[in-house]
Amino acid sequence: MTAISLTVNGAAHELDVPPRMLLSDLLRDELGLTGTKIGCAMGACGACTVLVDDEPVRSCLMFAVQAHRRSVRTVEDLASPDGDLHPLQTALREHHGLQCGYCTPGMLMTITPLLESGQPLEPDAVREAIAGNLCRCTGYETIVDAVVEASRR
Amino acid sequence: MKPSAFEYLAPESCDEALAALAEHGDDAAVLAGGQSLIPMMNLRIAAPPVVIDIMRIGELRTIDRGEDWIEIGAGIRMAQAERESGVPLIERALQHVGHSAIRNAGTVCGSIAHADPAAELPAVLLALDGEVVLRSARGRRTVAADEFFNSYFTTAREPDELVVAVRIPATRRRVAFLEVTPRLGGSTGEFATVAVAAAAGRDDAGHLTSVSLAFAGVAERAIRAREAEAILVGAEPTRDAIADAAERAAGETDPPADVHAGPEYRRRLVRALTRRALEELASP
Amino acid sequence: MTDWQTQAEGRWSGKRVQRLEDPGMLTGATRYVTDVQMPRMLELAFVRSHAPNARIVSIDLDPARAVAGVRAVLGPADVVDIQPTVDILHLDGALKTPRFTLPGDRVRYVGEPVAAVLADDRYTAEDGADAVVVELEPLDDAKPIHDDIPNDRYFHQAASHGDVDAAFGRAHHVVRRRLHVQRVITSPLETCGIVADYDAATGELTCYLSTQQPHLARAALAEAVGLPVSHVRVICPAMGGGFGGKEVMLPEYLCAAVAAIRLRRPVRWVEDRSEALTAGAHGKEAEAELEAAFGEDGRILAMRSRFVSDTGAYSSGIGAYVEFMVGAFTVPGLYDLGGYAYDTGGVVTHKAPLSPFRGVGMTTSQTLREVLLDDAARSLGIDRMELRRRNMVADGAWRTVLGEEYEPGSWRTAFERALELIDYEGFLARQAAAREQGARPPRLLGIGVSPFVEAAGIGSAGGAGGLPGGSHDNATVAIDLSGRITVALPTFSHGQGHRTTAAQLVADMFGVAPDDVRVIDGDTARTPFGMGTFGSRSGVFIAGTVNRAGRLVRDKLLRVGEILLEAAHEDLELVDGAVGVRGVPSRRIPLAAVAGAAHFAPHVRAELGDPTLTATAFFDPPRPTHSNGTVAATVEVDPDTGGVAIERIVVVEDCGTMVNPMIVDGQIRGGVAQGVGLSLLERYVYDESGQPQTTTLAEYLLPRATDVPPVEIEHIETPSENGTGGIKGMAEGPASATPAALVCAVFDAIAPHGSAIEELPLRPETIAAALT
Repeated sequence: MTAISLTVNGAAHELDVPPRMLLSDLLRDELGLTGTKIGCAMGACGACTVLVDDEPVRSCLMFAVQAHRRSVRTVEDLASPDGDLHPLQTALREHHGLQCGYCTPGMLMTITPLLESGQPLEPDAVREAIAGNLCRCTGYETIVDAVVEASRR
Repeated sequence: MKPSAFEYLAPESCDEALAALAEHGDDAAVLAGGQSLIPMMNLRIAAPPVVIDIMRIGELRTIDRGEDWIEIGAGIRMAQAERESGVPLIERALQHVGHSAIRNAGTVCGSIAHADPAAELPAVLLALDGEVVLRSARGRRTVAADEFFNSYFTTAREPDELVVAVRIPATRRRVAFLEVTPRLGGSTGEFATVAVAAAAGRDDAGHLTSVSLAFAGVAERAIRAREAEAILVGAEPTRDAIADAAERAAGETDPPADVHAGPEYRRRLVRALTRRALEELASP
Repeated sequence: MTDWQTQAEGRWSGKRVQRLEDPGMLTGATRYVTDVQMPRMLELAFVRSHAPNARIVSIDLDPARAVAGVRAVLGPADVVDIQPTVDILHLDGALKTPRFTLPGDRVRYVGEPVAAVLADDRYTAEDGADAVVVELEPLDDAKPIHDDIPNDRYFHQAASHGDVDAAFGRAHHVVRRRLHVQRVITSPLETCGIVADYDAATGELTCYLSTQQPHLARAALAEAVGLPVSHVRVICPAMGGGFGGKEVMLPEYLCAAVAAIRLRRPVRWVEDRSEALTAGAHGKEAEAELEAAFGEDGRILAMRSRFVSDTGAYSSGIGAYVEFMVGAFTVPGLYDLGGYAYDTGGVVTHKAPLSPFRGVGMTTSQTLREVLLDDAARSLGIDRMELRRRNMVADGAWRTVLGEEYEPGSWRTAFERALELIDYEGFLARQAAAREQGARPPRLLGIGVSPFVEAAGIGSAGGAGGLPGGSHDNATVAIDLSGRITVALPTFSHGQGHRTTAAQLVADMFGVAPDDVRVIDGDTARTPFGMGTFGSRSGVFIAGTVNRAGRLVRDKLLRVGEILLEAAHEDLELVDGAVGVRGVPSRRIPLAAVAGAAHFAPHVRAELGDPTLTATAFFDPPRPTHSNGTVAATVEVDPDTGGVAIERIVVVEDCGTMVNPMIVDGQIRGGVAQGVGLSLLERYVYDESGQPQTTTLAEYLLPRATDVPPVEIEHIETPSENGTGGIKGMAEGPASATPAALVCAVFDAIAPHGSAIEELPLRPETIAAALT
């Protein structure tokens, strides 16, 4: 077991973890944050995407020990504590940018940093940005529409 | 798809890392970004008893610029290199590597050390006549890219050595990077069926000098199409000259077959990509 | 049947109401099976065969037991009591392949589970699975896969309608086409999974299961493990996609259930992506041939089809039959055939067993037929769309050569509209110009158009050729003491937004808002029996059952209203969450008060008999619905790389009355995306020795955002005569017609230069090789 300290959704944690435990499993099984999904365990599908130090990474391709002294944000951190949806979440809902919902947390964490610049986004740029996130239900277009609109608000 | 157990070491200095490599040798895998190693471990294709995480080593997290060269340290992630490496061919090629989340974690040197014959960065390093800087407890050495890559996922790195940097000579040559994937509409990203990393200089008469044509996805390692290059050096880049070079490049390769493509198709892509890359390099 | 709309005149139906399901999914709060955690839960990992065809010589489980953290190991001997799974079809001549949970004697495909390891966590379970030693002795490939099926063909059916031979005899022109449709993986983002929990005190087994058919899964589990159905509960909390792949009772589920019962601890198995790709829900693979006899004017005199499904190692699931049966039956489509003969069946092979996958059979029949029509038009010298016009049935009801009765639809109208939207004539002009570019290399542009019809909502009368129809569903509607309405449904949404659709229907019936309607699904203890969600049936069955149960409850509410308001039934209305006298807003009683009166006012209770304001009703559609449309696509092919760029995809869809057009559009877009994958990207490959070559998502290519173009959608609404409220089932039509349109488009693009391609998908390499 290895001792690590990390921040998850603003809360500090001191934990002892086996080195081989993946960050995805730390989040889901140890911390009960099951919003992050596992789709392939090799980085191809994007369902496990979380923010580490504000950048999207695949939590299935990171050992928890690699998150030592780093800050992690998951989908559970997007809505306000009162339950008000983040503008991107609202936009996805309005545009029907989700059906089964399984890819949605990974999509949200991939897209959220794109909106931070405040620059309006073009559809092709959004399509490229989410090209690493597989969705089997929507055909992607409504997700792109939602992000484009959210970037313009 | 969970990895086997391993001993985890996280040295905070290069010397510590090298001592660990000296001790564990073949039993140890070096962990940088993990975007190549961890999928293999999740699939249990790789099960190293020891994993040495080098990402806490500050001295590896630098991009050094000399007069004639740029040195990218082993701790530099691809996303950072895409923004600030100062090497245009690397920045272009990186747009095609995996997806952005992969590049946020993966490192330039990690991709070089992994030596996937279909990967973009080894071909880039080869095209630029770059070098790999290796350190061990025994000392330090630089290996030219062409000597570094041996075969599928095998390099000149000894088990006790660490790739600490790649070194790229500064150049004013024009560069081009093109990739074909199995996907639709010329999309970038993910992985290549075949990719070309190309560079060429022009003299005042408009003739090509010093041409590099390096390919990913056509052999057991990244390769240079040296015969095709030789045709072009000193020549005017006419359509016929480019077509000849493209034909020769295709003929020089003996690509393997895998589930994505067979040898004939890969040769066809070499021909097409060589032509397109040269047209780009030769354009006014 | 339109009285399902209340005096509110459809305030919610027909609107793009935002989904009730979304907030939970968006915030990560929605729990799927793999998110279910229970105290003392064990994780299960499987030992799987590395050989496609071998005798099991020995299995040594002891090394696994020695791994720290491993709590139990199951081998074949431990599960002999589990009843083998076998399909419930009664088809003459079908040879069955009962499937034992863990085969003790022989493995028949790479990935077949042979032993199970239970440990404190999945990491340790996999360590244990690695430690198990399985000795296999390869068997001769000539040996039949199942002893009772000597030539590997487990079912075959042939029939002829009309005088087919004579038609071919007098034909002016005969065209033939062959197609090998590739093996694909349904690949929902959420893989399969189960959490099994046994209560030793009550003898009840609860299984959280990612399933499209909770009640059928419950029955299958009960039968297999030897418990009465009353003692088994299946809960599907949410499902991350199904597409047909979660209709099957997997041996892995049965192992988990048995382990939970024996060990008295909850057991979880989550299928990982490797398992899903290797041994999970495979779909579609078939060899298909079609020939058509044409008259001089291009009219189709007759067609003959031949289908052989490559079913994989077991035919014990519904996936072993639907592909080739539905494929054969859907060849006629929207065309008027004078005669039609089919020869269809399946063979077992050393591959993972086939599961249904969205557009069962239709992907193959649709693509093959439309490709053949294009071929025929080219060889007859008739414009491809004109050939279709000459043979397409007129809008309206139609009886096919097979005797299938289509309810009225907009077949031709949708077709012509799609041609307008894609600007067919304009495209032909562009294509001709691009082909003539002289010194510059020609650009390869192509267009494909595929009209489609989709039958859905099949009741017990509609079972075609012996395949069981959808039978019936029930629904329960109830009003509780808070005045809120609850609907319990036996369907289960994989993402189609059933809760929202049902809430909209109920909201209109009762004069409330959808947010005030609670929809329960996925739990066999809280929902009445039904067949689940597959075959585009849910829209029809939800509307039908909710309407019937809802009317019964509404009548009871109005009865209470009559008593309390001393008004006549016909003067009452349900509006704004109350029962009221029409036109007299001051005389209204909120539903909570109505419910209260029903329970606690003795004279009201006595009048009602049953004060619970609950009703359950079934719907068994006497006739199915038929939705239709047309998919048109234009593409450009890169002559150097063989790569395809899709310019435009247009879909005209008529699924009758739409409850939520936003959800309908979503189904269309998702179906189109899957069609892109099927025609151009996805393929599962076994080499000659039966070893899978595409075992990760780096080899098996699912469509990404950069592969799927925007889809232009237009709707026509021909209300259904058979579906309640005019609703027709939909979602598999566009999924099947998109591959047809794209394949036709690519073939059109390369027609002047290329040779015939008979393999799907149309990968760049395949296209490049076909270009001469």
